[in-house]
Amino acid sequence: MTDWEPKIVSFLCNWCSYGAADLAGVSRMEYPPNIRVVRIPCTGRMSPKFALAALREGADAVWVSG
Amino acid sequence: MITFKLNGKKVQGEEGQYILQVAEKYGVEIPTLCHHKALEPAGMCRLCTVELFDGRRTRFVTACNYPIWEGMEVKTDSEAVHQGRKLIVELLLARCPEVPLLQKLAEDYGIEKPRFKTEDDTCILCGLCVRMCEKMGNSAIALTGRGVEMKVDTPFHIQTDICMACGACASVCPTGHITLEKIRQEITRKQNVELIPSEYDMGLKGRKPVYVPYAQAVPNTPAIDRDVCIHFKTGGCKVCTQFCGVNAIDHSQEDEVVELEVGSIILSPGFKPFDPSRFDTYNYAKHPNVITSMEMERILSASGPTGGHLVRLSDHKEPKKIAWFQCVGSRDLNRCDNAYCSSVCCMYAIKEAVIAKEHAGDDLDCAIFFMDMRTHGKDFERFYNNAQGKGVRFVRSRVHSIDPIHGSDELAVRYVTEQGEIETETFDMIVLSIGLEIAPEVMALADKLGIELTDGNFCKTTSFEPVETSRKGIFVCGAFQGPKDIPQSVIDSSAAAASAGEILAAARDTCTRQPEVVPETNVVGERPRIGVFVCRCGINIAGVVDVPAVRDYAASLPYVEYVTDNLYSCSQDTQEVMTQIIRGKKLNRVVVAACTPKTHEPLFQETLTNAGLNKYLFEMCNIRNQDSWVHKNNPELATEKAKDLVRMAVSKVALMQPLEEAELEIKQVAMVIGGGIAGMAAARSLAKQGYQTHIVERSDRLGGQAHRLFRTSDGQEVAGNLKAMIKEIGDDPLITVHLKSEIKQVEGFVGNFKTEIVKEGKSEELEHGVAVIATGGAPLSPDEYCYGDDPRILSTLELDEKLMADDPELRKLESAVFIQCVGSRDDQRPYCSRVCCTHSIENAIELKERNPDADVYILYRDIRTYGEREYLYKQAREKGIIFIRYRLDAKPRVELDGKDLTVTVTDHVLQQPVQIRADLLTLATAIIPNKDEALAQFFKVPLNDDGFFVEKHAKLGPSEFATDGVFLCGLAHYPKPIDESIVQGRAAASRAITLLARKKIHTSGQVAETDPMLCSSCGVCISICPYSAPSFIPEDARMFAGKAQINPVLCKGCGLCVASCRSGAIHLKGFDNDQIFAQIFAVNQD
Repeated sequence: MTDWEPKIVSFLCNWCSYGAADLAGVSRMEYPPNIRVVRIPCTGRMSPKFALAALREGADAVWVSG
Repeated sequence: MITFKLNGKKVQGEEGQYILQVAEKYGVEIPTLCHHKALEPAGMCRLCTVELFDGRRTRFVTACNYPIWEGMEVKTDSEAVHQGRKLIVELLLARCPEVPLLQKLAEDYGIEKPRFKTEDDTCILCGLCVRMCEKMGNSAIALTGRGVEMKVDTPFHIQTDICMACGACASVCPTGHITLEKIRQEITRKQNVELIPSEYDMGLKGRKPVYVPYAQAVPNTPAIDRDVCIHFKTGGCKVCTQFCGVNAIDHSQEDEVVELEVGSIILSPGFKPFDPSRFDTYNYAKHPNVITSMEMERILSASGPTGGHLVRLSDHKEPKKIAWFQCVGSRDLNRCDNAYCSSVCCMYAIKEAVIAKEHAGDDLDCAIFFMDMRTHGKDFERFYNNAQGKGVRFVRSRVHSIDPIHGSDELAVRYVTEQGEIETETFDMIVLSIGLEIAPEVMALADKLGIELTDGNFCKTTSFEPVETSRKGIFVCGAFQGPKDIPQSVIDSSAAAASAGEILAAARDTCTRQPEVVPETNVVGERPRIGVFVCRCGINIAGVVDVPAVRDYAASLPYVEYVTDNLYSCSQDTQEVMTQIIRGKKLNRVVVAACTPKTHEPLFQETLTNAGLNKYLFEMCNIRNQDSWVHKNNPELATEKAKDLVRMAVSKVALMQPLEEAELEIKQVAMVIGGGIAGMAAARSLAKQGYQTHIVERSDRLGGQAHRLFRTSDGQEVAGNLKAMIKEIGDDPLITVHLKSEIKQVEGFVGNFKTEIVKEGKSEELEHGVAVIATGGAPLSPDEYCYGDDPRILSTLELDEKLMADDPELRKLESAVFIQCVGSRDDQRPYCSRVCCTHSIENAIELKERNPDADVYILYRDIRTYGEREYLYKQAREKGIIFIRYRLDAKPRVELDGKDLTVTVTDHVLQQPVQIRADLLTLATAIIPNKDEALAQFFKVPLNDDGFFVEKHAKLGPSEFATDGVFLCGLAHYPKPIDESIVQGRAAASRAITLLARKKIHTSGQVAETDPMLCSSCGVCISICPYSAPSFIPEDARMFAGKAQINPVLCKGCGLCVASCRSGAIHLKGFDNDQIFAQIFAVNQD
């Protein structure tokens, strides 16, 4: 075991997943602090270039949700 | 101010403060078990012991109750302190070895086993409960006895009347020594020692006296429940005021009587779920595993009492078999007085069963016990069919009783199958699908207002004025009008608003106030000057995230000119301060790190606008909902995350540009396409509210299918009412009727449509701001049951015409047969036509009245007389009309043999074929939509597989399209009776007027824009856009002909075109590539 923690770049749709992430907070759920959220207006906005850029910039994983 | 040293650092505190309070302020943690912010400290647990140097010697004091003084030196984590605390923990653990909190502390201090003799107590005598009880204004308990005899108890160890069973002692007890059970058994004499039931969770969970009803409540601010708040009983407590950071709690507030002068009242008091406790045989009140459907909703909900985990309540085990019982408190005069059908229960039971299977897996056995399956709503029949496909069992049987099985938590059910056999099954859980009722207080309100109620205590209305009560100016919507589901309630509410709008049209805009407009500063070309405002949100953020550290970090980021932290950024005074800071510091970009943009972005954007800054020069950074609230046990990493998020937001905001919102005039004219009942209702409402309206009707008269209808379900003659309605339309100077007219071409978009209509070869162009599609439907012409072969075989509407003409033949009938679901609910048309059951029953009753000796048969699959239409079904049975159920795989057979017309059907009770000689056979034919694909293309609105138009949202937007400015009503939406068509016509008008009344609309600035220089004219954007915003620049244009352009008015800013553009020619303002890349590049600090 190491102390290594992954950094996950998350692209969340404003209308569903971003709102769900807000609701998780309102409901006081807990999850590990590894994600960094980029709010996008719709997953339709998502471009493969964003995922690649995130990985190139050192993200350990990319999560697209919408 | 007193200055002293805390762990070597200079700190300051107020006179009279204790060490612990100052330490807390500076974020220095001191462990304690008996300290409570709202109570006087007592120094009982000794765990907060710290080392104090007074200049001459060192001693140990308890931090919680040692007052600070100038020049003292305190150490909170020296080795001596640590050793001292370790001993205290060891002693406490020896006394209470089973208390988890102490076990955890012992582990932290490296104690494996106490060296002292262990006892089996759970109380550490911290006295927190006693002090809390005193604070409640009560003192029911105290520390009694001396030395080793000391304990928390009531005087003389007698259960006391003084204890109010408030549970405050249990809520603060650090070890769990005091429980509700203990209060019940040892402290109070009161019987009701229970959690305050959460209304939202149907009592399956407790709530506090200070509470927010549910997570999405509006307004989302807590309220104090005066009935249970201890302060209102004893005058004590007020603990909440000590925790509120902004002094928002005022216990002295009184109820106020507010008088409002209004021109109209809309009643929407809703329903009360039926309480099945009175049904002894179902054991609802006694057995935890018999629950109501409302409780099931909460159990299935992710925010519910079990976190969405499907368990039965007796032992929290996952159930393997669940049964639903339909019609509990509905269609029942035997055990309750609700003769009506509650309309919604069949559908919700199927939904719950499907969701339960989704939660628990396919092995879960779900059985629904029902009488008639009533899935008469749009797309409901498909859902029912799919549920059967997923293995949900549907058992046609009404179960009399539920028997708990002794010695287990299971429930036995005995029922009669369709074949007449008695079966016994056991279930882990039984859900009672309870009906909708009107609450007694609503009945009292109706009485006070002087409005009439129906037999079922719903508000009395008529088919032609379905949202108007018996008293002028008072309107009704939702379940008080009749049991109904969400879409129908939403349609109702829009219609009620329109009805109120009609009588108040003259007063429109007379109470409107215009906000002052601050001129916008031009910041284009300026170097970014970013202001970062970090919100503490009381302790919501600051309690976890190190706000000052985030603030200071933000100051180190490029282009950041100003940083601060606010206690509550959203409070009005902070907003004003922010406005001044933006102006004073000449900031041209703003980041607010606080809660979520979904709720607060508009507020902060307004602040920017007030400061003269374009509102798009803003970025919000979510460090509450998506950080402090979800990482409360990980403050360090939460702080790191907050810094990352702020860095990302700062990188993005630096690239933000001021955006313009296009202003668009809304042409104050409406067009209604289709002049049937729904279309006329829409046009009438629009005109009554002052809007010029065109009705475009294909045929040569208004009224559509209604001309062929005899009566409504509430017994009103259609013809007379229809005539009056047509006259009203004709007399209204604001309505222009275009008969024999078809639409040839539609150009434009919301606010500015140009429609070309052709009337008898002549073409005319009409300009309008909105369009209402009310193209209606038609009866199916069946190709089965010998239809067309014999004059005695009619469709429903043909029988209506005979009834209207009072055909003497009808009085001579000896035998009349109705066949239901002709063309509905089959493979070709898997939807229910909603109106036919009621219609046939009504006509059957009419035939019976015209000739009481006639034998009348209705051959049906499920009788769907929803709501109070159920009374007709009951009446029909009382009149001796015979109902025979048939199955889709064994349809009735119709034979014509010379003069004889015979219908053969397998009777569901006899299980035998029955031959009926009929003098009249009426086929309840399906309603089919006037599937108008050209129109759908013109207005860019979708049709479903059945040919009905697809609304914006099945539940929340039933009378409008996703395309702005286009609305929907009547049979074009889904089959419905006259009352519902009129309601939806009004609803469509209502929705249209929300747009018309604005006169101008501002589009969002965050829209896509093409760069024609890069565009390759491939057309992908045009084909992919769901809102038809992109188009090619016309070939004859002077510049960039054939390249794509995007209409900012239609664009919703989703970015689909941007991501799919191969040439990179489209930019999404506010979410452009460089802005998103800037965020990505800032994810890791370099």
